[in-house]
Amino acid sequence: MNPTSSPNGKPVLSASHINKSFPGVHALKDVSFELHQGEVLGLVGENGAGKSTLMRVLAGVYAPDTGELRMEDDIIHLQSPNDAAKNGIGMVFQEQSLLPNLSVSENIYLGYEDEFMRFGILQWKKLHAAARRQLEKVQLDIDPSARTSSLNFAARQMIELAKTLTLEERTDRHLIILLDEPTSVLEQAEIDILFERVRALKQRASFVFVSHRLDEVLAISDRVLVMKDGKVVANLSNDDGLDVHQLHQLMVGRDLQAEYYRESQQRPYDETVVLEAENISLSGAYHDISFQLHKGEILGIAGVIGSGREELCRTVFGFFTPESGQLHVAGKPVHFKSPTDAVRHGIGYIPRERRTEGLVLYLSVASNITLAGLRKAMHNGLIDYERESGIAREWVEKLSIKTPSIRAMCLNLSGGNQQKTVLAKWLNAESKILILDHPTRGVDVGAKEEVYVLVRELSNAGVSIILTADTLEETIGLSHTILVMRDGVITQRFDASSGHKPQQLQLIEYMV
Amino acid sequence: MQTSSENNPGSGADGGRWTRRNFQSWLNRGGADTLREIAPIATLVILVIIVGIITPEFLSPNTLLTLAGDTATLFVLAAGVTFVIMLGGIDLSIEAVASFCSVVVAMTLPAVGYLSFVLGMLAGAILGLINGLVHTRLKIPSFIATLAAMGVWSGVALVITDVKPIQIELKNGFYLAWIADKTLGIPNRVLIGIVVLLGCLFIQRYTRFGRYSSAIGAGEEATRASGVNVDRHKIIAFVISGALAGLAGVMLSGIMSGGSARMADNLLLPTIAAVIVGGTAITGGVGSVWRTVIGALIISVVRVGMQFVGVDVFAQQIVFGVMLAVAVAITIDRSKIPIVK
Repeated sequence: MNPTSSPNGKPVLSASHINKSFPGVHALKDVSFELHQGEVLGLVGENGAGKSTLMRVLAGVYAPDTGELRMEDDIIHLQSPNDAAKNGIGMVFQEQSLLPNLSVSENIYLGYEDEFMRFGILQWKKLHAAARRQLEKVQLDIDPSARTSSLNFAARQMIELAKTLTLEERTDRHLIILLDEPTSVLEQAEIDILFERVRALKQRASFVFVSHRLDEVLAISDRVLVMKDGKVVANLSNDDGLDVHQLHQLMVGRDLQAEYYRESQQRPYDETVVLEAENISLSGAYHDISFQLHKGEILGIAGVIGSGREELCRTVFGFFTPESGQLHVAGKPVHFKSPTDAVRHGIGYIPRERRTEGLVLYLSVASNITLAGLRKAMHNGLIDYERESGIAREWVEKLSIKTPSIRAMCLNLSGGNQQKTVLAKWLNAESKILILDHPTRGVDVGAKEEVYVLVRELSNAGVSIILTADTLEETIGLSHTILVMRDGVITQRFDASSGHKPQQLQLIEYMV
Repeated sequence: MQTSSENNPGSGADGGRWTRRNFQSWLNRGGADTLREIAPIATLVILVIIVGIITPEFLSPNTLLTLAGDTATLFVLAAGVTFVIMLGGIDLSIEAVASFCSVVVAMTLPAVGYLSFVLGMLAGAILGLINGLVHTRLKIPSFIATLAAMGVWSGVALVITDVKPIQIELKNGFYLAWIADKTLGIPNRVLIGIVVLLGCLFIQRYTRFGRYSSAIGAGEEATRASGVNVDRHKIIAFVISGALAGLAGVMLSGIMSGGSARMADNLLLPTIAAVIVGGTAITGGVGSVWRTVIGALIISVVRVGMQFVGVDVFAQQIVFGVMLAVAVAITIDRSKIPIVK
């Protein structure tokens, strides 16, 4: 590909044909784009589209498998975040990277204290003065000797930005700042301030801005890059009437394909109530939640981060105990003190953190499959290895889990096969209620479809499912019923049975 | 969908040259496990050959049986700790618990006879239970909980014995025969050790606790999220460790015809070294009581070898300390633990 000159002159950074794979996932596929001087480039896509991987490649955290990065006329090889910094690329991290027990000045110059050393002694005055100059760039008027933990989140975010701006004193290159979801925990007023500062800094630097909130991306970006399944699907200038709906269409990439989620196989659920929440509350998470889950029903819960849906799911599995209200399983009141209690009542949990909570990676496939229902592999109170192997072989075959052997460690399986192993664990434990917490996260497109087929089959076999999905599309496609949550309360309930599927925008209306 | 090449990460790199990267990828592919499997046995064989060449009398059946007898107490202690280490914890109190239990045996034997041995083991199990409860209920790291327990129980033993060893009188000596005597030429201690080994292997392989303890060591969060009562199984591990420390105390009181608050002194380091040298990972998850047998034999061969060569008893701790550090450095899988504290 020939990177063509744009009207603004040469790009400050150009990426061409970047590829990056992880075991089981092709995360970036032939990604090419350019970043120009003083430009804010918005980067959007669904979870798993490859945004974070791309940001990490630019920040030097991951080296691309193939493809090249060019700054001005030089090809650059970023082996570490330090290399990126030397080339003027800095990242403002999603999880803040500041050390709370140090002062603001120490944080800003962490790793560069040498500049302020004299005969091995740190010159605090000089350090604070330098920090103050950095803070002025972002117009933050605070005492640089203040302890970082004493400041609020928005101020800390500004300090991160100021810290990144120190790079311009250490590089000859044009400064590039990567903003990874900087707004996710900010209030609107704080977001306005951040955007104002970013606009003011455009003469000093170029920005790449990642956010889930499309309206924000449109508000701040000059150009928008849309990613889907690891590929760049659109590269749009933000001056010709681009709107949120258009972006969303591109991100999803298809109008709802009903068959993808096996909608034709969706059957009405049984009227038997298997789980009921009655006015349950947990302070700081959710309030006065009531719902019923029926036999064979897939109940989707939609909501943004902080809506309380994650905590609600984890409550049903016994990680949290509601402070008031009552849970019922099969009509009987229950008090879960730990997941052990929930499992005893036939509840299974497929967690978002598959590699830490879903599987014991350093244990075999067979041992993982029997972990939650070990009694089925036991005979006269002892583990019967033949019985265990039989169980494992049966599930490996039924769910077509691809593994070298049933005694191979789960570590070496691809994301999709790991997820199927987690499912097998709960199926072996004969769970009647499954909580699916982002079941297709980090799973390749093809394997996603297999997971959907399994979920549909389970539902038809009478297993009840509570689903919090990565995308609204997934929620709508799979669910019989959808609860929408906002700020800890249920704002709307949708019937999503086959033929009555609500639209994404209808749900969004109650989410934000 | 995945392709076949994704199932073989690292294959075909660098055209087969034995570079550091190749070695690393071999380790990642499971080579590290192979190494961990073979290295302890190879070490044991090589050590026996070396000591045998220097001092041929070392290889006489008599010396070897004495060696096995000396190993038995160490092994019984180490077998118990193996369970704790397998699930990711540590028990530093075993030395104090064993000493304490030897005192219990020596004090109660004149009054209750054989029952004193049961009391000794029971005392160990109870102290282990306390360790487990302090660790799980108060959420104190096992390292600290058992370090504190070590101070407490050796202190209690010192106070109740008035810092003096308690002798078991000669007329009661027959009670100790099952520990100190030989059966068909084999020291009874070795037979006790074999019974403990078989029992531990059984627990490890065929019981719920055995399975869950390695699962907890390899992935505590996932095990908890599978509905396993993690705390209960941690407590069981500490009870086993305590009970076997108690048995070690019983064995020591039989060999030494008495009990003392210092009975098991200097045994903690070689015990932990035996577990780790055997190939049980200090980070948990990987390990076996079977490996601990090999580890305990290695420690004994080194100990006896040094005696043959004429190394001072106190200087032996230097060697065990170095062995422990080296064994951890070799066996630890750093890809699993980015930060070591």
